[in-house]
Amino acid sequence: MNPSIPPSTAEYGGDEVSAIVLDPGYSTTRAGFAGEDTPKSLIPTYYGKYTYDSQEKLIFGDDVFVTPRPGLSVHNPMGRDGIVEDWDMAEKVWEYSFTSRLAGPRPGNPLQNGLNDTPDNELPTEMEGLETEEKPLADSPLLMSEPGWNPTKAREKIIEIAMEKWGTPAFYLARNGVLAAFAAGKASALVIDIGASNVSITPVHDGMILKRGVQHSPLGGEYISSQLRALFKTNAPQPITITPHYLISSKIAVDAGQPPQAKYKTFSPEKAPHASYRTLLEERTLCEFKECVVQVWPGPNKLSGTGPNGVLNEDLAKTSPGRPFEFPDGYNQVFGVDRYRVVESLFDAKAAIPDPESIFPPATQAQTVPELIKNALNGVDVDVRPHLLANVVVTGASSLLYGFTDRLNQELMQMYPGPRVRISAPGNTAERKFGSWIGGSILASLGTFHQLWISKKEFEEHGPNIVEKRCK
Amino acid sequence: MAAADVRDMLDLPAEGQPRPLKKQKVTEKRPEGITRELFALLGERAPPIAINENRYKGRPKWMSKMRVRPWRMAPFENGARSDGLVLRHWQRQNEPAKPALEGSEMEVDDKTDGKNASETVEKDYMFAKYNIKARVPNRYTDEEYNRHLKNDDWTRQETDYLMDLVEEYDLRWVVIADRYDYQPHPVDAETNTTALVPAKRYRTMEQLKARYYFIAASMLALEHPPSEMSEAEFELHEKMMKFDPERERSRKELAALQLNRTADEVREESILLEELKRITANEQEFITERRELYSRLEVPISVGNTTMYQSSQGLSQLLQTLLQADKSKKRRSILGPESAGAAPSPAGQTPASNAPGSARDSRADTPNASAPATTATAAAAPTNKKAAAAAAAAAAAAATKEAEKTVKTLTPAEEAKYGVQHHERLAPGVQFRSDRAQKLTQAKSNVQTQKLAAALAELAVPLRLVMPTERVCKEFEKLIHSVNLLLDARKVAEKVESEIRVLEAAKEERERKTKESQQEKTSTTSTSTSKPEVKSEQQDEDGPPLIPADAAAEAATAPDPKGPATAAQAEGEPAAEVKGTSGVPAGLTEGQDGASHKRSASVLSNASDKSNKRQKK
Repeated sequence: MNPSIPPSTAEYGGDEVSAIVLDPGYSTTRAGFAGEDTPKSLIPTYYGKYTYDSQEKLIFGDDVFVTPRPGLSVHNPMGRDGIVEDWDMAEKVWEYSFTSRLAGPRPGNPLQNGLNDTPDNELPTEMEGLETEEKPLADSPLLMSEPGWNPTKAREKIIEIAMEKWGTPAFYLARNGVLAAFAAGKASALVIDIGASNVSITPVHDGMILKRGVQHSPLGGEYISSQLRALFKTNAPQPITITPHYLISSKIAVDAGQPPQAKYKTFSPEKAPHASYRTLLEERTLCEFKECVVQVWPGPNKLSGTGPNGVLNEDLAKTSPGRPFEFPDGYNQVFGVDRYRVVESLFDAKAAIPDPESIFPPATQAQTVPELIKNALNGVDVDVRPHLLANVVVTGASSLLYGFTDRLNQELMQMYPGPRVRISAPGNTAERKFGSWIGGSILASLGTFHQLWISKKEFEEHGPNIVEKRCK
Repeated sequence: MAAADVRDMLDLPAEGQPRPLKKQKVTEKRPEGITRELFALLGERAPPIAINENRYKGRPKWMSKMRVRPWRMAPFENGARSDGLVLRHWQRQNEPAKPALEGSEMEVDDKTDGKNASETVEKDYMFAKYNIKARVPNRYTDEEYNRHLKNDDWTRQETDYLMDLVEEYDLRWVVIADRYDYQPHPVDAETNTTALVPAKRYRTMEQLKARYYFIAASMLALEHPPSEMSEAEFELHEKMMKFDPERERSRKELAALQLNRTADEVREESILLEELKRITANEQEFITERRELYSRLEVPISVGNTTMYQSSQGLSQLLQTLLQADKSKKRRSILGPESAGAAPSPAGQTPASNAPGSARDSRADTPNASAPATTATAAAAPTNKKAAAAAAAAAAAAATKEAEKTVKTLTPAEEAKYGVQHHERLAPGVQFRSDRAQKLTQAKSNVQTQKLAAALAELAVPLRLVMPTERVCKEFEKLIHSVNLLLDARKVAEKVESEIRVLEAAKEERERKTKESQQEKTSTTSTSTSKPEVKSEQQDEDGPPLIPADAAAEAATAPDPKGPATAAQAEGEPAAEVKGTSGVPAGLTEGQDGASHKRSASVLSNASDKSNKRQKK
């Protein structure tokens, strides 16, 4: 078969088997049916935990943000490096992601659902086959994504959950880098994924990752938030404290730079939610700030360097008009050159705003995006490097920072002036946010893919280790 | 005045022609979805935007007569799988009743019946055919391995591992090299931790490839000996046997270097490439120009009468016709932007190339004032006229040089290198240097021309110069000049000789007569009249010893009462030129070969012989 001749339209190969695609991330978990263009179910990976009537209760989904229940604490089952830490909770969060919108909840145990309550005078009858209760994914194959550096143990755990707990008839585990490349329509690509907790570079060749080239560093969206907090602490007219919306009962408009005049809600200590709840909601405000204000210095050269005509880039940045932002408490200010500074450390570690209280250690040069790309390319064969550079795929919600791709392009051109550098970054926000999910949606709806599923039978024959053999 | 009156006046028949029909008023159709009242308000001209209600376009009527074709969730089995996994997808349900209507759209499950379709599982899955694996060589047996494939560097286990990997990844070497991770003794390392675990070896892609190609080629050769292989197999075998890991490695090093070029290097390379493109383009242009020139030169010489073009009127007429022809051709115009300033002449049809490339053109033009050369010759032999001319030329050259210095400073060496020349006066239009040389060989009289040709033939100089470069032309000019001089000298010498002969005969006659008279002893006066004649000859002979060429010149300038015309002619020629003739052979050696040098020497010796003879006399 000649690969350069496209198949005829009849052979384009869509064949949907109502598979579910699950793309768990650090910040959000995406789930939906294969063949659709956006995930139907988008929930935060954070979950809330509180005690009510001395019973531990859990909150999943967007409900986490809504009510500041007393003692509500927020947790995340994923570690900052993208590997699951709390398997039990991860399973529950993931299950919620598809049962809430896609597959429907698992029917309750007939013994307890009230329909089979026995009258008091009768002995409960032994019911056979109660254990074989319906599992949530009994008729949907499941495609899950994982980061390129996922250890074998985690992969085996995932397939165990999918097969044993959810009862899926077929399962496949794909690298999210590969899926993002597929979403961009490429089988070979250099995938740059700027996520919430991680920046990862994945070289993909013919639909398979090149393990020696996979690079990741923690300079993701959370890191930018920490930089923002550091910036707010040292802000010029006055330090800014972020007060989330749930703490504000009313506010009065104030002039720019003036202290806020707002009425705050107060919670008594026993009614107040846990500090992690506040952090989560502060993160929402910061997210808004990132979307509205933060901008990546477009280059050429670093923000601390000089432009092509000898003017300091900082001076140039100062001349550009600032952007105003109003915080939930009414405080507002125009942000000038600072809005470039907070993300500059993604490209230039020296430009990081120091903050000793931050949970992130100071960024090193090796963690910056250009260095990661360099290392990733050095890890792969020299023959494919030019091809990878010509197929750079940018994905991940944090890559939506204004001017990010321009700067990335500049940096790549500077690093590799010889080969052709071509960045493919979809302009559509949804496509950028859900890149790997969309790739999974494409993959799982292909007729030719159905031979790759790991079936239940195979799993039972070979055990969880089959995932290593099949999902290469 | 009515129309009838007009008709009457003009004697036209009443109602001669039927009246033109009135234009039918076109009533625009009211589009659907717009009320009549609203449409009336719109006037005659419909608005540019169609006001149409957005309605759902229902299916055509004929479709509603068709029966609904149901879809069903059908289980299927993938033939490419070995485990018999049954998945479900939507399929159009087969309708046994009306196969004619939808026969073309029938899917794979033609045979399945409507009733029991849900139970039967499709067997032939349409995507199973894409399940293809790369062809890998047969596996070796133990014996084969031990006999043919042993290698000190590779253990049997590692070779097996490599072959497995190659098969698993379908010969994608990039992936294979990436995933290659062979643990030499996995079991030993676990059971016996104290044992020395050999350091894990990192294998490069070239090593892997070399090993694999060796094995694949050997297996191929074992299957069919090379003499029995098909062509494709043999080619494959050759290719695999010739794999050179060392060369591949150095190639990759070069590729890495190429990838990691600095911006400056990249810029330089692009500039060089640009330059190369320019050079090749120029070369191409030059070649086409030269071809055009050749085709022009190879045009058969016209035998028609050219006298009509010798007047300026005739020339301008010719130019007009040529311009006309050029316009109709619509190719590059004669009066193109660059040549518009130049004198318009038919010869200008050769397009003048742009300024930097015009060195060739200027060289092709008149070689009449190559300033340094003329000044040099003038300095060698300063005589009044030539010196004046040379001084003027030098002054002009200096002036032009000065003028040029302000514009662009080129040293004489550079000028010589680039062929830059300075002309005092340029004749309009194109001239061929060879034509000028040709003209020199045409003397006034036919006899003289023939003599010239004979002299040139003796010197083995072709009448038409083979390579009329500037220097050759100059030397040729000098040569022709000296040949002319020599011819003149010979003519004079012959004349003098004949006169001498006549005089001697007269003398003899006279002597005879005097003898007779002496015998008769009568006259004494007649002898005294002839004396001064002889004496003048003797005076002539008594002159200082001269080099042969000078002697010829002397002979030419010597006062000769009987040939005043020739003497005057000879006097007209500057002496310096005569002196120059002695330099001819030396000058000629530059352009001609040694043989011609000898010959020209013989010509001179001939001439000097004659003058010597005369001197003896």
